Amino acid sequence: MSRRRVVALWRRLVQELRRDHRSMALLFVAPVVLTGLLAFVLREQQPATVDAVIVNQDAGQAGAKVATSLASGIEADGGSATSGDSEAVAEAALVDGSASVVVVIPADFSTALAGGGQPTLTVITLGLEASADGSQVAGVQKALAGALASALPSGGARIPTISHGTIYGSGESDLVDNLAPVYLGFFAYFFVYILTGVSFLRERVGGTLERLLATPVARGEIVLGYSLGFGLFATLQCAVLLGWTLLDLQVPAIGPLPAFSFGLAVPVAGSPLLAYLVVLLLALGAVSLGILLSTFARTELQVIQFIPLVIVPQALLAGVLFPVSSLPAILQPISAILPLTYAVNGLREVIIAGADLSTRALQVDLLVLAGFAVLFAALAGLTIRREIA
Amino acid sequence: MAAVDATTDPAIRAVDLRKTFGAIHAVDGITFELQAGRIYGLLGPNGSGKTTLIRLLTGLARPSGGEAWVLGVRMPSRANLARVGYMTQSDGIYAELTSRENARFFGALYGVTDAAAADEALAVVDLADRRDDLSGQLSGGLRRRLSLACALVHRPPVLFLDEPTVGVDPALRVQFWEHFRRLAAGGTTIVVSSHVMDEADRCDELLFMRDGKVIARGSGAELRARAGTTDLEQAFLRFSGDAGTIPAQTGTAAS
Repeated sequence: MSRRRVVALWRRLVQELRRDHRSMALLFVAPVVLTGLLAFVLREQQPATVDAVIVNQDAGQAGAKVATSLASGIEADGGSATSGDSEAVAEAALVDGSASVVVVIPADFSTALAGGGQPTLTVITLGLEASADGSQVAGVQKALAGALASALPSGGARIPTISHGTIYGSGESDLVDNLAPVYLGFFAYFFVYILTGVSFLRERVGGTLERLLATPVARGEIVLGYSLGFGLFATLQCAVLLGWTLLDLQVPAIGPLPAFSFGLAVPVAGSPLLAYLVVLLLALGAVSLGILLSTFARTELQVIQFIPLVIVPQALLAGVLFPVSSLPAILQPISAILPLTYAVNGLREVIIAGADLSTRALQVDLLVLAGFAVLFAALAGLTIRREIA
Repeated sequence: MAAVDATTDPAIRAVDLRKTFGAIHAVDGITFELQAGRIYGLLGPNGSGKTTLIRLLTGLARPSGGEAWVLGVRMPSRANLARVGYMTQSDGIYAELTSRENARFFGALYGVTDAAAADEALAVVDLADRRDDLSGQLSGGLRRRLSLACALVHRPPVLFLDEPTVGVDPALRVQFWEHFRRLAAGGTTIVVSSHVMDEADRCDELLFMRDGKVIARGSGAELRARAGTTDLEQAFLRFSGDAGTIPAQTGTAAS
């Protein structure tokens, strides 16, 4: 072992890295910025605004009392509460977005309370985003605790239990079911971006782009050709991932092998083809984004270095981990300009809520995604200049 | 009364062509006419502006001033590139494709519809028997040949070759020049850049380049005669005005 050689290696690395300002920034600045963003998102979460419709089916006194004090409790917390005539009307308000939660006081509420039993309140949410729903339920619970104290002075021992139901998805939907729309979009975006970014960078660095541009090919033709080429693989990837997600293949026990199921068995309410369309539009945008960002990279490493800058903020801000509505107010406009926001929304609408092409929200998501794909393609085209030097 | 005469109309014309990068004048006011069917050598040290000049003539770079004309069309012109072949300094071929796939790809971009064109171009550079090999697995010299084939696949009447024989062994170099000579005999105008003087005599005419300017032009024999030397390298140094530095390097007093 030669000390001189080890030192030479060590010194060379330091010299190299010191000159690579981007790697330096990534090493020291990116973790600070990204954890800062994470902390900001976590600490400054907007409390969920509870816009409740309270449906009181109880003819007795206790139900009316609870309904009134629950309503004032919710309003005291900055929300709004109206009373609904029937569960059906209230749920319609939930679906059209004029309400965020429905609280149903059952017909047997007073009698159950009087009989010393444990009454049950039903809280209904939309069921598209588990975390957003959770904060709605928490909001109702908080208001309810205060309401019970004032409405039922002796009710301490008999706090009603809350049964949580959702409009979309089955009551048994688990974490995977909720995550499926998110990861379908995320993977398509992420992998297509890396694939295109690296292969276009190789065109730029390897001299083939120079050569390509010495032919009569038009910039638009290059972007379109790339989109078709990687679009094909994005399509295949999406097909495999979607199939794996939806598949529920029960394999019976054969000999010593126990029975098992194959696939994630996530129930899909809408058409898988529509989910596919959402992912494809997102992936086409990612192709152009890869071409666009390869302009700013000189090595493949630098394409990878864009991941924390391009991908991580999207995970934080696009409704992947936290509902957009809970983001700090100044970050919410950012999530509105991230393609992933619309893809995740669209996928949730299709997979969980069973939206079809006539659904307004899905139409908006598809249009915005198509708009992003066109915008990125145009920008990518601009970066492919005949004049490189 | 005579129609446009291909033999006297210049194939390539530069009119006070300029390209600046910041304060650097990479091409500094070059004017010339190059005739069809001849081989022209751009000779000069690294950084003398050869590649930039070729990029201006092919329209890959936009001139800061002046005009570049190829076959009567002002460059940059995307459509006109179908009549221009360009072999870049780096090979510029796709390593994961076979030789034939590379040639077909560039043929398609140049608008070649003849399916046999790719194979013919490969045959011209003696790569026919390696056409199904991945180009990334070819030796450096074979890759150079493939790169040339990709520049020839559309049979362009004008061919720019940027240091085509760098890294090519002497035997292959002789073959390359035989190809070039055959193409020129068929009417192709060829512009070859090089900093290797011993190749220069194979050109019909030489353009000595230095600091973005053409400092001398003529056949090898003419340039030697004008410089009063038998050595082209010496001739180049005479024209660039620092011939006197050579004896100084030997350590003896300048004569």
